[in-house]
Amino acid sequence: MFDFIVSKYNYWISIVLMMIGLYGMIAKKNLVKKIIGMNIFQVSVFLFYISMGKIKGGTAPIYWEKAVIYDNPIPHVLILTAIVVSISTTAVALAIIILIYKKFGTIEEDKILELMEKENRR
Amino acid sequence: MVDLLLLVLLVIFALYAVYETDLLSSVVILSAFSLIMTIVWTRLNAVDVAFTEASVGAGVSTIIFLSALSRTKRREEITRNGKKLNIYNFLASLIVIFTGSVLIYGTFDMPDFGDFDAPVNNAIAPRYIYGSMAELGIKNFVTSILAAYRGYDTLGETTVIFTAGVAVVILLRRRDL
Amino acid sequence: MIVYIVLIPLLSSLLTPILGLINRKTGFFVTLINAILTFTIIIYSTRKVYIYGPERYFFGGFEPPYGIEYVLDGLNSVIILIIAFIYLLSVLYSKKSLEKEIEQKRISLFYCIMNLYFTGILGIAITGDIFNLYVFIEIASLSAYTLIAMGLKRESLMASYNYLIIGTIGATFVLIGIGYIFMATGSLNMADLKLRLPSLYHSKMVRTGFTFLTLGLMLKLALFPLHIWLPNAYTYSPSTISALLAGTGTKVSAYALIRILYSVFTIDFDVNIIPFSKIFIFLSLIAIVMGSLLALAQKNLKKMLAYSSIGQIGYITLGISLANESALQGSIIHIFNHSLMKTALFFIAGGFFYKQGIENIQDLKGIARKMPLTMSLFIIAGLSLVGVPFTAGFISKWYIVIGAVESKYYIVIPVILLSSILSLVYIWRVLEISYFGESNGNEHKEELPVPLFFPAMISSVLCIFFGIYTELPVELSKRAIEILWGY
Repeated sequence: MFDFIVSKYNYWISIVLMMIGLYGMIAKKNLVKKIIGMNIFQVSVFLFYISMGKIKGGTAPIYWEKAVIYDNPIPHVLILTAIVVSISTTAVALAIIILIYKKFGTIEEDKILELMEKENRR
Repeated sequence: MVDLLLLVLLVIFALYAVYETDLLSSVVILSAFSLIMTIVWTRLNAVDVAFTEASVGAGVSTIIFLSALSRTKRREEITRNGKKLNIYNFLASLIVIFTGSVLIYGTFDMPDFGDFDAPVNNAIAPRYIYGSMAELGIKNFVTSILAAYRGYDTLGETTVIFTAGVAVVILLRRRDL
Repeated sequence: MIVYIVLIPLLSSLLTPILGLINRKTGFFVTLINAILTFTIIIYSTRKVYIYGPERYFFGGFEPPYGIEYVLDGLNSVIILIIAFIYLLSVLYSKKSLEKEIEQKRISLFYCIMNLYFTGILGIAITGDIFNLYVFIEIASLSAYTLIAMGLKRESLMASYNYLIIGTIGATFVLIGIGYIFMATGSLNMADLKLRLPSLYHSKMVRTGFTFLTLGLMLKLALFPLHIWLPNAYTYSPSTISALLAGTGTKVSAYALIRILYSVFTIDFDVNIIPFSKIFIFLSLIAIVMGSLLALAQKNLKKMLAYSSIGQIGYITLGISLANESALQGSIIHIFNHSLMKTALFFIAGGFFYKQGIENIQDLKGIARKMPLTMSLFIIAGLSLVGVPFTAGFISKWYIVIGAVESKYYIVIPVILLSSILSLVYIWRVLEISYFGESNGNEHKEELPVPLFFPAMISSVLCIFFGIYTELPVELSKRAIEILWGY
């Protein structure tokens, strides 16, 4: 049982982190807060990917005469791409939030919905 | 032991970033979260990723967040309309717990952390590790995969940045509406 | 050859902002040339695939699974054919329509984003690598968020934001799913995964990965309980973009779902090993009924069409999850037909807004007397949506019903009948108001200007055409399934 936990805790903690981020994305009403949650969510997924590429006793995947085992380089490559994608999403989201603040004067979801409802009733 | 400590620290920082109502401190905490993540990744030997995360995740993203906050509001307003909010939060936690347990269920028959014999390390990875030096002459395997074998992903990545750049320009310059 | 299908839109997206600095009008022409060129190449390659079989392209000459490959087979050639066609029509429509809706200073950047969206969806449709699929999903999504946020009203910003949040959750779920499957197999190439996966079907890792992949795509696809982003996104975006998204956005996700279900996994896994098929049929049936019911309750014309889309997406997923030949064929034909008819309807709804500033169904009173030709196009596309015989919508529903009977899911028949009646009711409501409603003021005829009328006419006339000459979609989809399931 102990071995089982030791061999998996890295994945479990990254899953716990993902869920904290996901909770922030779903439950928080503040628009910026949702994006903070989104960042945590995505970075934790990246941690999960990086964890799966680690090999016990491995060295960084760079050629070295003394190295016996290298860590798996593929997850690193995938995550390099994914990090950039995540930051781009954040940038677009924040640009939209700035516009929303300009037009609605608030960044709280419930208040914006109230404003939209009032407009529709008219 | 250090690794476990770092991971626990990550959880604490993540919780803090989500629960803090002052958005400015929340963003700073998020930046610290990224920095700790960088250390974790360095300890997992993912140096290239750690570089990128330190510059992009902890650096650029914090700057973007701060500039967005300077144009909007610093504080999160907590509206308390009692029952409705509670039910909403309860539903959200239910979704999150359910999703999390499905993910954890999936880990049960995963190969152990650091297992050399895991399928990830044996399917296509050996070709990159043992063949790419001879084929391309680049010492860093990550670079050779990024630039050659999966170079097309990198083109896609660049396109994503381009999209985001054009998107931000076209959105922030809107004067109509 | 097939690599140009994605490269031409990508290059033109780089070209539009640069040439836009010299002259604003170039944006439209570069985009139009791009759409025509891509469409021509796609017709050529589709024909080639139909005759000689799948075509593959290895990037950098690295053979899969080590490098990334593009695969054009029967299935995705049908999908990109319809996507490129809808894009061509939308570009034709956009010139006049965007003059009213977008600041002209920003027009070349707007076309740049449109081209990037086109690049993204074509990339999703043609790639043979699941991680590359994720990257292109993000390109398409980021540009879609931006396009929606360019709407006239401030609600469009909120619609775009909500889509961004839900879309990112979906894309991240896809990423998690790819991670789990990658961990179990160590490969990212679809064809290679199909060989490696069968021995791992009982692994919890693979099942979880499958669940998250499909869940993520369902969020992108807006299947009923996960549809909340769709109505506002379609309603508040510029008219051209509503039509473009309705015709291509969800369709490409549906394609990706078919690809994951039948090209990465096998029918055996989807139907026998996990209860995916049963759950999905149930969800689709709910989507069909609820989409039509909610459409009935809408006051805004575009919102009504958006909810009707949710019901129609139910048909597509129903055909996919029934997992037999006729049903899947019906599903592919429905992707094809629904693109045509929904684009036509959104074009016409955009035309009402352009000419009269009308958004609500109530304000359409007497419009049929002002714009009789336009309204007749609306009738054609609307009847096709209902699924009247001799229209395109009938053919796809017919194939799906046959598939349901083959699989002995008889409950499908009354549900489809009910939904057809409901859609007849909501289309009829529009017709009744527009033909018999008392209009106030002048009733002299003023049809849509040609650049708006022409694309709407082409797409609605094709709804009739493919209802009578059914060979093209039926043959193409038949060949698609032959290649997909290998017989």
